[in-house]
Amino acid sequence: MSEAMMDADRPILETRSLAKRFSIGTRFSAEGRRTVHAVDNVSLTVRRGETVGLVGESGCGKSTLARCLVRLYDITDGMLLFEGDDITSKSLSELRPLRRRLQMVFQDPSASLNPRRRVGDLVAEPLRIHGKLSAKEITARVAELFELVGLLPDHVMRYPHEFSGGQRQRVGIARAIALNPDLVVLDEPVSALDVSVQAQIVNLLADLQEKLKLTYIFIAHDLSVVRQVSTRIAVMYLGSIVEEGPAEEVFATPAHPYSQALISAVPVVETTPTGVRKRIILTGDVPSPLKPPSGCRFHPRCPIAAERCRSERPELQEHRPGRKVACHFPTLT
Amino acid sequence: MILSVRDLRVSFRTHDGPVRAIDGVSFDLEESEILGVVGESGSGKTVSLLAVMGLITDPNATIEGSIRYKGRELVGLPPRELRRLRGNEIAMIFQDPMTALTPVYTIGWQIAEQIRAHRGVSKAKAMARVEELLAEVNFPNPREAMSRYPHQLSGGMRQRAVIAMALSCDPALLVADEPTTALDVTVQAGILDLVRKLRATHKSAVVFITHDMGVVSELADRVMVMYAGRVVERGTRTELFSDPRHPYTRALLGSIPPLTGQKPRRLPAIPGSPPSLLRLPQGCAFGPRCPVRYEPCEADKPGLGKGAHAAACFRVAQA
Repeated sequence: MSEAMMDADRPILETRSLAKRFSIGTRFSAEGRRTVHAVDNVSLTVRRGETVGLVGESGCGKSTLARCLVRLYDITDGMLLFEGDDITSKSLSELRPLRRRLQMVFQDPSASLNPRRRVGDLVAEPLRIHGKLSAKEITARVAELFELVGLLPDHVMRYPHEFSGGQRQRVGIARAIALNPDLVVLDEPVSALDVSVQAQIVNLLADLQEKLKLTYIFIAHDLSVVRQVSTRIAVMYLGSIVEEGPAEEVFATPAHPYSQALISAVPVVETTPTGVRKRIILTGDVPSPLKPPSGCRFHPRCPIAAERCRSERPELQEHRPGRKVACHFPTLT
Repeated sequence: MILSVRDLRVSFRTHDGPVRAIDGVSFDLEESEILGVVGESGSGKTVSLLAVMGLITDPNATIEGSIRYKGRELVGLPPRELRRLRGNEIAMIFQDPMTALTPVYTIGWQIAEQIRAHRGVSKAKAMARVEELLAEVNFPNPREAMSRYPHQLSGGMRQRAVIAMALSCDPALLVADEPTTALDVTVQAGILDLVRKLRATHKSAVVFITHDMGVVSELADRVMVMYAGRVVERGTRTELFSDPRHPYTRALLGSIPPLTGQKPRRLPAIPGSPPSLLRLPQGCAFGPRCPVRYEPCEADKPGLGKGAHAAACFRVAQA
């Protein structure tokens, strides 16, 4: 009993000052060899059973971070802990038993499913690699998984192209949950789907989380979908987390000027003519992660930037329990 | 009246049999009006606008019906005549700005070429106009941007360059096909502002195609909702969003998670997926997914009716 309670409190995944840098170019190219700071100094704690939503503009490093979290990328700096165990630099063979518990679902199911294999086979593959199941047991488990994700039993014999986008994503999800993982990283799982189908997949993910006690890291650029799915969200800008907190709170009262601009930019359906919501339009584009600005990385686009922001980089600080902001002048209500 | 489309039908011959991509679409567009066209993939929103612009060149395509631009019939017009209109009076913006830009010339050269092709002005004059246009679409340093190549610009800047190109000849009609779908929300907000501003300054009529109900509700004066090649509902923005009538419109609006207030425990989802145009059901195409279908829906396709706010649904007609 006490052990179970400890288990619930212990973070399932934790990063400490995690960084991922890529080298591009060679010493022979015009600009020489350069470094892209894709993810920079990210410390994030994910607790069992929660859903952490990662949001930010394209190029902010959310997908790179996600790939670091499941060790699809090697981590340049900092630490990655899974259930308190340091897995930052574990070798591929050492990682193998962990892979079963750490799974990923990708954006485009037609790109992540082999078009020449039947979907039943594709879902059975992780079971063959990791499990010690007999052929008969595998068939039974695949049938069970198909039912769990809302596919029909006779679908196992079909090829990926015979499915609609939504059904293909169901196959992708079935594959990810086949080995009873603890944590699933979902990278834009509904973005490629038709609007009328997105809600089905969002609901399916919620059902599976409840049934299988899953922990999710959820990435999407559609902010209303992230809010719906997440218990907590982390807003990223240029490789770093600028704000973190309970999803509903952050959406209702964003504290970082960047989160405010991002959330205000989402077009919403309003039955009465607009005017209530004030939109903050950011000037300029996201700076290149090749040469991030000095001080606060958001200062060149920030409507409230002051002298201090140009020179001194704000740390991600906990201003209230559970609410962290990296800003010298956060809006805290 | 800038544009008047009547009973437009587009079908394609394919290996798997004929596909009717557009099945009887009609709409009108007035000067400086923004019409939002909403639909999912395969709903026919793009094909109907490609037809308007005479860009369906597939020999397997058949286009029927009438498309009148300022009273002039476009269906059957020779390609040369159409080319004179396109880019000049009728401009287009697509989802991916890279498809509209050639990678081997500078932005300035490309926009100037269009002005010279349609207006026959000198190179220097065209270049001066390009600088004005780039300033108008909020390039911080238009003169410098002119000498840039497309790959040197960000996605948002590229799309703004394409918009500048579209505006170069003061089009009376601007057709925008998901122009903000590939962009971040922060960039999208800027582009939507720009479209609004341009409608005001250039008096252009705009057809804005999108799958995003939020975008439509912020931008459009009138809205047309499409499903499986047909218009299922049309009305003014206020009518459509405060009193959605077609079960598809209602369901679609209901399935969007809210950005504020209480989170629903589950989203009201629409079952199934959009039908394949190769295997459309006999009756209403939305029937198999519809929560309120009854016998008549299985036999016939409901018509849209005459009203300004109309829905193609037997249940609505009955009420």
